[in-house]
Amino acid sequence: MFILKRLLAAIPTLFVVSLLAFWFVDLIPGDPAAQLAGNMATDAEIADIRHHLGLDRPPYERYLLFLRGVVDPEIATSFRTSRPVVLEISERMPKTLIIAIGGLLIGLGFGVVTGVICALRQGGWFDAIVTVLTLAGISMPIYWLGLLCIWLFAVNLGWLPAAGAATPAHYVLPVLVVATRPAALFSRLVTANLLEVMGKDYLDTARSKGLPERVVILRHALRNSLVAAISVAGVQFGGMLGGSVVTETVFGVPGLGRLLVSAVGSGDYPVIQYSVLMFAVFFVVINLATDLLGQWLDPRTRDYAAA
Amino acid sequence: MNQILPTRRPALSVRSFAASVLLATALPLAAIAAPEGELRIAVGADATTFHPHVNSLPVGNAVDGLVFQQLFRIDGENQVVPSLATDWSWSEDGMTFSVIFETGHKFSNGRPVDAAAVAASFNQLLDPDSGSIYAGLYGSLGEAVAQGEDTVVFNMAEKNGHVLMLLANSAAGIIDTQANAEMGAEYGRKPVGSGPYMVDEFIGGERFSLVPNPGYTGSRPATLEKITFMAVPEDGSRMALLETGDVDIVDRVPAESIPTINALDGATVILPDSMFSISMEMVLRGPLTDKRVREALNISLDRAGMVQGILGGLGTPSQGQVGPGTEDALRVTFDEKPYDPERAKALLAEAGYGPGNKLELRVNCPNGRYIKDAQVCQALTGEWQAIGIDAKANILDLPSWSAAHRVPLDERTYDMSMIGRATAGIDFTLYRLFHTGVSANTSGFSDERVDRLLAEGRASTDIDAQKADYAEIQKIIWDEMPFVFLWYQKQAIGIADNVTGFTIRPDETMLFDDVHVSAGG
Repeated sequence: MFILKRLLAAIPTLFVVSLLAFWFVDLIPGDPAAQLAGNMATDAEIADIRHHLGLDRPPYERYLLFLRGVVDPEIATSFRTSRPVVLEISERMPKTLIIAIGGLLIGLGFGVVTGVICALRQGGWFDAIVTVLTLAGISMPIYWLGLLCIWLFAVNLGWLPAAGAATPAHYVLPVLVVATRPAALFSRLVTANLLEVMGKDYLDTARSKGLPERVVILRHALRNSLVAAISVAGVQFGGMLGGSVVTETVFGVPGLGRLLVSAVGSGDYPVIQYSVLMFAVFFVVINLATDLLGQWLDPRTRDYAAA
Repeated sequence: MNQILPTRRPALSVRSFAASVLLATALPLAAIAAPEGELRIAVGADATTFHPHVNSLPVGNAVDGLVFQQLFRIDGENQVVPSLATDWSWSEDGMTFSVIFETGHKFSNGRPVDAAAVAASFNQLLDPDSGSIYAGLYGSLGEAVAQGEDTVVFNMAEKNGHVLMLLANSAAGIIDTQANAEMGAEYGRKPVGSGPYMVDEFIGGERFSLVPNPGYTGSRPATLEKITFMAVPEDGSRMALLETGDVDIVDRVPAESIPTINALDGATVILPDSMFSISMEMVLRGPLTDKRVREALNISLDRAGMVQGILGGLGTPSQGQVGPGTEDALRVTFDEKPYDPERAKALLAEAGYGPGNKLELRVNCPNGRYIKDAQVCQALTGEWQAIGIDAKANILDLPSWSAAHRVPLDERTYDMSMIGRATAGIDFTLYRLFHTGVSANTSGFSDERVDRLLAEGRASTDIDAQKADYAEIQKIIWDEMPFVFLWYQKQAIGIADNVTGFTIRPDETMLFDDVHVSAGG
């Protein structure tokens, strides 16, 4: 019921996104037909291409077609390749998801483990090292870090391929590079939250029941401190999908980010519009998922009336 | 190997004889070596389609040259040579052009490459409703009609003495229109052609590969077992692939990486000419209608210094508007514009501009379209400010920069814009850029002499008359200076030492006819 309500509530949001995606893209300076035709084309040639692409139809008609294209892939085709946009997107999506999910999982794992150790050993050498590493992870631009990793692991050590996406080995560097930011963020977050809950009475209650310290920390303290981390993870994941273009460009991975940016560069409006719409759907789903996870972790946030 | 075509009509029998000699000598060669080795190339551009009627990228041209056969082609020496064509002739009135071609070839799906197939391919190219972006460029071909099995006749829409150049461009590759209709948009990824190679795999944005077409029986057999292209837009990563030995060839080597690649054990950078001619194209109105002002702008630039200092050597100062390789038979060159700021100042003063009445100049440049374009823009305005011009650089994103040229002349908000021009045909380039009233003539240049000569040059099928006409046009444009001519870009290609026979044309199309890869690279 809760899920259904949330999904219904997303419909107006997505409708507004569809309006913005369609009209804002339409306002981009430049004419996709002129870009396709090249800078030596005459006005008549450009007009022919515009007609072929349907750009000479009235805007409301094109918007309705755009909406129909959501359910009919034959209408929603790329200006550049004439293939259905859904095909273009579905080819690219797995690559972006591998990097984003891989990066997030490794980041979460590293962040939680180091976060817990730092909280338990405040002021020690491990804490100092992790603090330096996490600060570096948060501040280093992915672009620069990516090129450094290529230089070290591909060119100098020869352990991993420099660019491409042909084998699993090609994904190691991009996933690790993408993981740095969430790893740093989660590590700081978990440490701070754990330190905050460590003095709480309920932990003393748990200890007085005779539970070992490990269980107290993992089942009681950590679970509470993860609520905030999960919300951040949701936002991070969304950001990783949308911001994947940098990693994908540096490592030559053909993902959604690169598809979107090259579509902007070449005036491939349908690809831009449907990609933006799809990212909006992603955000809705991710928000829903983080809310559900949050509710599972913290029963106080559950909506009993709805259940 | 291939004889160079006289662009115009020698006696038919000579041509037929030459073509038979060509075939007779080329065919035995075809039988000699089996394809061997894999060539791996990392390119900066993302190829989206290989459909010759839609493709506009040099990497797509390279693929199309391997996947499709053509009646004529442009060879490694940048000359138009017959490919399938064995004989060709004009009607008396110059309105019908017939080509007889070699039959017996088959598309990779087994369909014959006969006159009907060739005519259908051209008629689709000429139909804007098919999505062809070259329908206008090829418009003068009119309509193609099949005659018998081996002849295609073009009923011309207008006289055009540059038909061979059109037919030699990769857009004129012979496609299987039936397969295209069946496959729809997928044809752009896995096109069915009759050339020596076929597309084996296409992973959008990542890589694609070509393998020999087993049914190919022509004179340019595949020399390689596989050619793999990777799309790696980031310069640093692309260079790293050559450094690690993951690829054999990289394109667009940035100037700053040339020493690094040259220092590698097994690779070098070659710097072939590109026909990309970069100019500041003026909007010819107000002060810019005064030739003295245009000359002052042209002679106040230290081109050689900028090429070395900003482009890292990847350019050659212009010696004419059209770049090297733009139909060399008709191209002429002149002395470079001198660097004489003192004379420039004097010319400006003569035209009425000085400290009290500064010439204002708004200069548009793209960012990321040409080599170091934004930096060049700053340097140009700096040099013009040094001779007392109030020049302002306006660096634009690509869509805004390109949209600005389409605004009607008197509504433009800039005075000149950096544009690079590169087309294989001199008629096409000069007609579109300098004929009065053509909408692609974005500078508003108009000169009666040029209009007359352009019309004559297009209609003429006599090579000597064409040479005279186009030489005069190019001279007028060089003297009138509707543009501030800058330079021709140079290409920078990194090649591993185990690759032999690789060439790249000035139109930046890679050629693989004689490429071999030795093991151990």
